[in-house]
Amino acid sequence: MKRLILGASLILLTGVALAQQDPDMDALQLADQIAAPVTAPSNWRLFGELSAGGVVLRNTDSFQPDQRASFDLRYDNTFAPGWRAVLSDRLDVDNPAQTPFDKTINTVREGYLSWQPVSDMLFDLGRINERNGVALGYNPTDYFKTNAVRSVVSVDPNSLKENRQGSVMIKAQQLADAGSATLLFSPKLGNTVSYADFNPDLAATNNVNRWLLSVSPKLSEDINPKLLVFKADQTPVQFGLNLTSLISDAAVVYVEWSGGSSLSQLSQAQQMLKLPFVNDTAFRNRLASGLTYTTDNKISLTAELEYNGAGLDEQQWQRLGTSPYYGLYRYWLQAIQESPTKRSAFLYGSWQDALINHLDLAAMEKVNLVDNSRLSWLEARYHLSHSEFALQWQLDSGSRGSEFGAARQTQTWALVGRVYY
Amino acid sequence: MQFIKTALLSIALLSPVVHAAPSPQEILAASDAVRNPDYPFGMTNTLIEYKNGQQTDTSTLGIYSKADQSSGQFRSLIRYIAPARDANKLILFSGRDLWFYDPSSKASIRMSPQQRLLGQASNGDVVTVNLARDYKAISASEEDTQDGEKQLRHCYKVAMQAGTPDATYHHIEMWIEVGSFHPVKARFYADSNKLLKSAYYRKYEKQLGIERPTETVIIDGLDPKWVTVMRYSDLVKRDVPDLWLQREYLPRFKPE
Repeated sequence: MKRLILGASLILLTGVALAQQDPDMDALQLADQIAAPVTAPSNWRLFGELSAGGVVLRNTDSFQPDQRASFDLRYDNTFAPGWRAVLSDRLDVDNPAQTPFDKTINTVREGYLSWQPVSDMLFDLGRINERNGVALGYNPTDYFKTNAVRSVVSVDPNSLKENRQGSVMIKAQQLADAGSATLLFSPKLGNTVSYADFNPDLAATNNVNRWLLSVSPKLSEDINPKLLVFKADQTPVQFGLNLTSLISDAAVVYVEWSGGSSLSQLSQAQQMLKLPFVNDTAFRNRLASGLTYTTDNKISLTAELEYNGAGLDEQQWQRLGTSPYYGLYRYWLQAIQESPTKRSAFLYGSWQDALINHLDLAAMEKVNLVDNSRLSWLEARYHLSHSEFALQWQLDSGSRGSEFGAARQTQTWALVGRVYY
Repeated sequence: MQFIKTALLSIALLSPVVHAAPSPQEILAASDAVRNPDYPFGMTNTLIEYKNGQQTDTSTLGIYSKADQSSGQFRSLIRYIAPARDANKLILFSGRDLWFYDPSSKASIRMSPQQRLLGQASNGDVVTVNLARDYKAISASEEDTQDGEKQLRHCYKVAMQAGTPDATYHHIEMWIEVGSFHPVKARFYADSNKLLKSAYYRKYEKQLGIERPTETVIIDGLDPKWVTVMRYSDLVKRDVPDLWLQREYLPRFKPE
């Protein structure tokens, strides 16, 4: 019996020793057992999303629950050589409704045809989400964002860029090995924004004729600027620049600038609402510049400084707070997605596979440097192969009448579940 | 053509009369030619990640690669096919010029080389890389080693050091089979000489004219129970125009 135990122990010890000598063998044996089918590309992306949460109201400090159900579809198909069709749509059902909408809001984000007659030339026609800008928090060269957001489901800048209506346009692009040039025209198609549930709301995004020319020369491996010239009817030409550079293996710096003559935002709001306004046309700069640093354990941190030359300075902002135009100004800013004041800061951090696999954490802080109000946002998102779950929290803080202190809520909570089909 | 080139290279390197023993750099270049076709190509890479014996992640990528005429290094366009939440996102690798594109937000974001995309696999593991372009092979000695199929192979053990800023690792040891120049396994090290990961190149099959590895098993240097398997399929010779390999083409990329 002792011999048997001794023999078994020796075999066991030998096995342990062998395993220690070559730990790679276990890994190779594991790889031998894997049977993974190869997934084929799909032209469809479809998901459903449910959200439950609520807001803490600023005036009463009471909790008001809300729920949302969403269906999101994207179809992208090359249906014949050189021809491509894209459709992107989202349906949100909110309870209670987002003002001034009904409970149901359908957003036709994109619907266009693309034609590539030769390899270096492309034409597009339809509703296109034309987005420019390398900055993360504020995009001065995102000239087609006015009236684009129909349903706000999150203050996350990625969500605001994704869940919005494109503009109807015709677009031509010429490609070359050394860069690209794009010219587009987006016509005026209406005047009145529609809040009807399933209205494509073309008047919201196409209420003025607009032109955009952009050129991206590749000057070197690292320097690939994008230069833009934008013109809208009744508005002077605006010039834009996007530039990025790698300053180390872990850090990217970026600058996004737009400049041109324009009224101040307050005068623009008064002019649009057919109120008396001061003609304060001047050359105004808009700028966002920042740095993204990535650690070797998948944490990315971005710090961005933002300047809006058409916004108000501290004195003007304080004065407006006691004037009857304050509400109109804020209403106008929602449409054009601009900050009310001149200076802001933006911090964004994300951590992939934080603490455990598949858990992503994200945090955002927007600070209005003129009135010191803040928007803080945190998200924990856990994802599986065909589903994901997120817990989101938002805090709007600041003095009454400040950019974020004027929000009707102080806190927002949401538990979100999403399933991909 | 590729087969003929590899055969000629092998004959030239092995001929004792015409040439001396191949230099370490020549051995490395010959092994690159086994892993990578010398013309533009497309393929599918399925990554399966395991921790402690449990499958923790799987991704499928479409990869389109082409060697840059001036540097000789590959430039690649990578398209996520799965999981569903990442489908159709794109990454452009062109030297140190890295861009991530999300078709949902239409955002093109410049990335730094340190930004890892897929769990344990570094960018350098996923994209096509000619090691002989980024590393300087400093020695090659002959020894027997066990390959990924647990067979004994007579190999050159090639030691190489990073030679360009594009190199992902500080130094690498690679075992390359004598005669066939098949890469067998490699160990990747940090500046501190810490083992970062090991890789086994295995399941050789005839693809595009010659025997090539269709699977790489990557084992974490610190935690050997963290394993990533990369499986290559649908390797095809295809045109990858230079026009594709720029930021402004990313919203246009739709290969089917």
